[in-house]
Amino acid sequence: MAARIWPLVKLATKVTIAGGAVYVACDSGLLGNSEQGSEALEKAKAAVPPALEEWMKYFGLEAQRPTMPRIEFSPVNSWNAGVRWTISSLSDAPTRVSEYTSQGLQYIKDLVK
Amino acid sequence: MSEKELGKKWDRCLADGVTKLGTGLGLGIVFSVLFFKRRTWPITLFSGAGLGMAYSNCQNDLRSHYLLHRRKKQEQ
Repeated sequence: MAARIWPLVKLATKVTIAGGAVYVACDSGLLGNSEQGSEALEKAKAAVPPALEEWMKYFGLEAQRPTMPRIEFSPVNSWNAGVRWTISSLSDAPTRVSEYTSQGLQYIKDLVK
Repeated sequence: MSEKELGKKWDRCLADGVTKLGTGLGLGIVFSVLFFKRRTWPITLFSGAGLGMAYSNCQNDLRSHYLLHRRKKQEQ
C-alpha cells in the first residue's frame, strides 16, 4: 500500500514545489510588463546588501567583509567621449596631414640643400 | 519621443531583460532538477522563453508611443 502511494506523494510534492515557484514568479511581477520587471530588479538590488549583512552576522564574518570600492566609471560617458574624440580627429585630419606633409617636404629640401 | 524618454525605455528594457532571464534560469533549474533528471535543455528553454518575453515587452514599449490609443480616439 505504502509502496504504491509513495511515488504519488513524490510527484505531488514536486508539482507543488514547481507550481509554487511559478506562482511566486508571476505574483511578484517578474513575468509581467517592462515596468514591473524593472521595479522587481530595483527591489532585489535594494534587498541584497541588508540580506548579505544579515548572513555575514549569522556566520560571524562581520569583521572580514571588505568594503565595496565605489567605482566612478560611466561607460556611457566614456563612449560618448570616445565618439567625440574620433569625429574631431577625423575633421582635423586633412589639415594636419597637409601640415605634416609640407613640414616633411621642407625638412627634405633643407637636407638636400 | 524625446531622447530622455527613449533612454528611460531602453533602461527599462535592459532591466526587464535581466529580470526575465534570471527568472527563466531559476524556473528552468527548478524544473530540470524536479522533473527532468538535471538535464540542460529545460534550463535553456526557460531562459530562452524569458528572453523572448523581455524582447516582446521591449518591442511593445517602444512601439506604444506611436500607437493611437482608443481613449484619445473616442475623445476626438
